[in-house]
Amino acid sequence: MSFWQATMRRSVRLSKTYFIFGVGMSVFGAIFSNTSSLVPADLITLENTSIDLMNSIPLVSVAILSMAALIFSMPVVMLFVFDKNTGVLEYLLSTGLDQLDVYKGYVKASLSLASILLAFSNILNTAIGIYLGTSLGLLANKVVLTFALGISGVLLATVSMMAFSSLQKTQMGANQPLGPVIGMIPMLPAFIVPVIFPSYAMVIVISIAVVTSLVSLALLLLSSRLIPREKLLS
Amino acid sequence: MLGPNGAGKTTLFRTIGGILKPFSGQITLDDADLFNSKEARRRLAYLSHLSALPEEMTVFNALKYYADMEGGDIEQSLDLLNLSDLKERKFSSLSQGQKKRVSISKIFLRERDLYLLDEPTSNVDPKISKEIRDILIKLSKDKFVLYSSHNLYEAREIGTYLILIKNGELKFFDKIENIKTRQYRVGIKSLNDISNLLPDSQFDNGYYVVTVDNPPTVANIINDLVHSGAELTEVRELDNPLQEFFEE
Repeated sequence: MSFWQATMRRSVRLSKTYFIFGVGMSVFGAIFSNTSSLVPADLITLENTSIDLMNSIPLVSVAILSMAALIFSMPVVMLFVFDKNTGVLEYLLSTGLDQLDVYKGYVKASLSLASILLAFSNILNTAIGIYLGTSLGLLANKVVLTFALGISGVLLATVSMMAFSSLQKTQMGANQPLGPVIGMIPMLPAFIVPVIFPSYAMVIVISIAVVTSLVSLALLLLSSRLIPREKLLS
Repeated sequence: MLGPNGAGKTTLFRTIGGILKPFSGQITLDDADLFNSKEARRRLAYLSHLSALPEEMTVFNALKYYADMEGGDIEQSLDLLNLSDLKERKFSSLSQGQKKRVSISKIFLRERDLYLLDEPTSNVDPKISKEIRDILIKLSKDKFVLYSSHNLYEAREIGTYLILIKNGELKFFDKIENIKTRQYRVGIKSLNDISNLLPDSQFDNGYYVVTVDNPPTVANIINDLVHSGAELTEVRELDNPLQEFFEE
């Protein structure tokens, strides 16, 4: 088993609360996403406005499902702090890994966990949508947007939290709210954009995801170069 | 390696281990720079003062975590430190001494060329400490072992060379046997009163304490005492030569 796979398994065991919360949020998001299909169209369409709730509610759920993936993957960041404090990172460095190897291991674990939940939530969402008669085009859009936003948000949160935790001088607990907050920043526009600019929602959300991913990858490369190995020591 | 707290022992270990970058120069292992060469770092084992094991795992799985990454024989490593009985126990539930043994066992998962051990016998009882010392003595026959300790007797017992560092500077590096001290204090226990036979001695804590310039003198003193009717029960060196050296 490779380092990132072992890290993923350890993260699952570390905190079940995050996983339960992540799954619960996914189920809520999948159901909420399809509520518009249950309500008659004339009740949900607001007169004299340009807001199309029929199509915007399903897209708003993209942010909820992405956040669920973020919560689901947070134990990886907790594990990083835990491993720093207990000397595991120091030992890994002595076995031949360098900062980038270590960071990549946790990032892969984090993205893998997020992908698992995103796959689950999208399958559930699509199944409910098909059952309730939601348009296939809309469902396909949601899959693309959820994966793009979810993965980019998780990547940003994981990389920035690892860099932040590496640079902390004093030992800190792992339960820091900063990680989810950072990851949620690119997800917040996804709540508003589908309502205000429904026609451009797809483009805007995908753009946010691409920019977030590029910023995260740049941060990952910079972190491994600018943060010295000694910062990974307890 | 000896040195007072804060002397830089751990920093030196981390630097040799390729974890810290030297301020100047480079540390090489067969011409490979340990800081930059992953291959070179794989040839060494580093035991820090931290357990460096996943606390949430069982002993077996904690070792498997590293064995999966770098290879190695878990059972052999467990047997070496008599840990087979603990292998299904959760690492976090172990005592400090047990954790130390498990931590040490991870560096024996596979063979290395260089072993860097930062206080391997701290936090363990005397019996385990001796077991660890025996392992190190055996290991050092064909491997290079660099270890730090605050136990001067232990250092003298198993060390071949002594590195003394203070305030981040190398103060001494030579064979331990070459260390000379100004005087030796020897404690002698006897069933009968021998104070008249040792007029220059002091009686302290059941011992007649004699100060001599060099160890061979002790043999003459003992010989004279026995021939004078002393019923000796114990003769021991009271000071470790390294103690004086360490304090200078």
